[in-house]
Amino acid sequence: MFIRLLKESFVRNPRRKILTCIALVLGMAVATSTFTVAVDVSDQLAREFRSFGANLMVTPQGDTLPVEIGGVDYRPITEGAYLSLSELPKLKSIFWRHNILGFTPFLDVPVSVATASGNAASRDFAVTLIGTWYRHSLALQDNTSFSTGAFSTNPWWKVRGQWFAEHSSQCVVGTALAQKYQIAIGDELNVSGHGAGPSQTLTVSGIVSTGGSQDDAILCALSIAQDLSGKAGQFRNLFVSALTKPEDAFSRRDPNSMTPTEFDRWYCTPYISSISRQIQEVFPGTQVRPIRRIADTEGRVLSQVSLLLWIVTIAALIAAALAVAATSATTAMERRSEVGLMKALGATNFLVGGLLLSEQLFLAVVGGCVGFALGAGLARELGETVFGVPTSPRWVVLPVILAAAALVVVMGSWIPLYRAAHVSPAPILRGE
Amino acid sequence: MFKRLLWHLLSGNRVRLMVALLALTSGGAVVSALMNLEVDVNRRLAQEFRSLGANLVISGPSAAGSGAASADLLDASVMQAVTPLESSGVIASPYLYLVARAGSGPARDVVVAGAWLDRVTQISSWWKISGNSSLSRNDLTHCLIGRNVSRNLNVISGGMLTLRYGEQTATLGVAGVIDAGGPEDNQVFANLPVVQTLGGEAGKVQLVQLSVAGLPEDIRAVQAKLQSALPDLSVKPVPQVTEAEGKLLHRIRFLVFSTGLLILVLTALCILATMAALAMERRKDVGLMKALGGSMQKVLRIFIVEVGILAVAGGILGYALGMLLSVWMGDRVFGTRVAPRWEVLPATLALMLLVAFAGALPLRLLGNVRPAVILRGE
Repeated sequence: MFIRLLKESFVRNPRRKILTCIALVLGMAVATSTFTVAVDVSDQLAREFRSFGANLMVTPQGDTLPVEIGGVDYRPITEGAYLSLSELPKLKSIFWRHNILGFTPFLDVPVSVATASGNAASRDFAVTLIGTWYRHSLALQDNTSFSTGAFSTNPWWKVRGQWFAEHSSQCVVGTALAQKYQIAIGDELNVSGHGAGPSQTLTVSGIVSTGGSQDDAILCALSIAQDLSGKAGQFRNLFVSALTKPEDAFSRRDPNSMTPTEFDRWYCTPYISSISRQIQEVFPGTQVRPIRRIADTEGRVLSQVSLLLWIVTIAALIAAALAVAATSATTAMERRSEVGLMKALGATNFLVGGLLLSEQLFLAVVGGCVGFALGAGLARELGETVFGVPTSPRWVVLPVILAAAALVVVMGSWIPLYRAAHVSPAPILRGE
Repeated sequence: MFKRLLWHLLSGNRVRLMVALLALTSGGAVVSALMNLEVDVNRRLAQEFRSLGANLVISGPSAAGSGAASADLLDASVMQAVTPLESSGVIASPYLYLVARAGSGPARDVVVAGAWLDRVTQISSWWKISGNSSLSRNDLTHCLIGRNVSRNLNVISGGMLTLRYGEQTATLGVAGVIDAGGPEDNQVFANLPVVQTLGGEAGKVQLVQLSVAGLPEDIRAVQAKLQSALPDLSVKPVPQVTEAEGKLLHRIRFLVFSTGLLILVLTALCILATMAALAMERRKDVGLMKALGGSMQKVLRIFIVEVGILAVAGGILGYALGMLLSVWMGDRVFGTRVAPRWEVLPATLALMLLVAFAGALPLRLLGNVRPAVILRGE
């Protein structure tokens, strides 16, 4: 009987139900899409922020003072400490290894250069040779390889021509240097280190523009710089680009003062401080420091944008809930004469209330599900257009949305239904 | 008669009107808050990116970037072209780098940067300085040192640091220690005249760093202005900062805009459903009025005015609430005051009217229904 009544009510007058259902679908779609986007936005933006380049810097602990201007170290090779290249694969074995998007070792060597291709204009000059990786395939401990280098830690470096190839005697020359000594692509440079290694002839494969002191230097593969300086398998410093979570009050605390549970929570959250700590653990004898200029800005902008989106999401949710409640209130009011009739025929308040409530809840489930699907689709589209990566639907949101839908319809129809159920049937049947 | 009918309509169904008004108001509030924030969000975020430091560099014609050690030196008079821009939110400092010997015991090479200390600390807002960070640019007896310099040379703030370059020496009091998390940790910062005297380069600077507030367009405008004022020098954006910033600002703006648009459209449609439900409910009233001899036009007019009043009231209330919301959001998210914009009000009102009337369209269909059928019920 109950089910038949319920079915009748949907079949006999679908129009009223359709309006409530449409409002529900739209309202829940707003809630789902903004919610999904808000959950994801921090991760997506953190990835975008990596176009600012590295946010962590690894240097030897017992190092002397680097003589560094604009990103180039002018120390002679005999001074200061070095890091060992064979340790590098360990970077991809830390707890947050998947958050390490790239890293680049640097070895700056003072060299003297003779332009070999020249005729009478051949000149000697002293310059810094920067040994690095542009796109290097590093063999990891688990027999996979990881492609890393300046393309990921210094993405704003622009080259005219070609980057130097690994395992070749090629180099790229900074724009300012190329202009000053009229070096062109295809020229050959005779480069000699100060004493340590045999001199080498490098072919210029491109002209690089970085906006820093590298514009006055020569860049080549790390192995060449190592040979020239006699520092085989060693480098000066390492730049790491890692995906991090914005710092908060918790992450700023001193890890040594945390309880074991707090420490685990801190260690297992990709804060820049915990990632630094994990890198330090696999690289003993180093100093790992966040590049604060990048890390601070990133943290602030990320938390602002995600806070903004959360507030917008909540506001949109409230607006949608009110609109849905209004629709279901309006449609519920229409049912008063029906309620009067049922009561006149002897239905209890409980039965009438249960009938109408299950009607609304049924609508909430249908509307909530369709709304979730629509909202997830919209969020996917939004992620695709804004970040180029579709936002994957969050199934956790579904129960929340269904509960919200149920709450909203019950809230909206409660007062009118309550009033309808508690007036005596006669006046209603008479028509007010 | 018209007024009385309208009054009855509005006061007789208070609950359902309140409910509809609530829906319109909350929708209007979200929509107007988003419209109000849309403009400010970009400006505020661009401001946040200023913490990345300098975004324009003026250098000699052959140098291509910041801090090139071999670059040609510029005449310090270049600052005369830059300082007038300070009124429009540009922070600028000249730089002169040299590598000096420092320390009393075993001397060490250290990079000394001559600059305007009051400006440098503003450009590099991410520095944490322990000690005195507010030095005037005329203070020729103090310097700031990086934390690695402090550790390597065993000098702390309050101590003295002697710098030697060729025949020249300079002894400076250490006013503070910089924790920068970058190359500045290895450098000594002193005021420009000190370094000019030390290096024997009176009246020369190596480069000028500028931090221009505003959107990428504003930065390009300042660059063009400076380039035309200084045709012999190169004025270039710092690619690391400007390229990534432009990209990110664009992404965030697009994100906020499209989320806003999505909310706007869906909320509008949701309100439309509410208004349609309200209109449907009026079928009985329409039937009764028609039965009593009201022309369809007259009957419709009453309802349209009713819907209009609802929409205007919802729009105005929503605007007021939305402004409160956006001011609160501005304060909470960005820590600044967001000014309410008047141009949002007509936009909100227009949207609310559009939505309300679109929702009332079903009423028109009711004109075709015969009153008897409706009055009989169903």
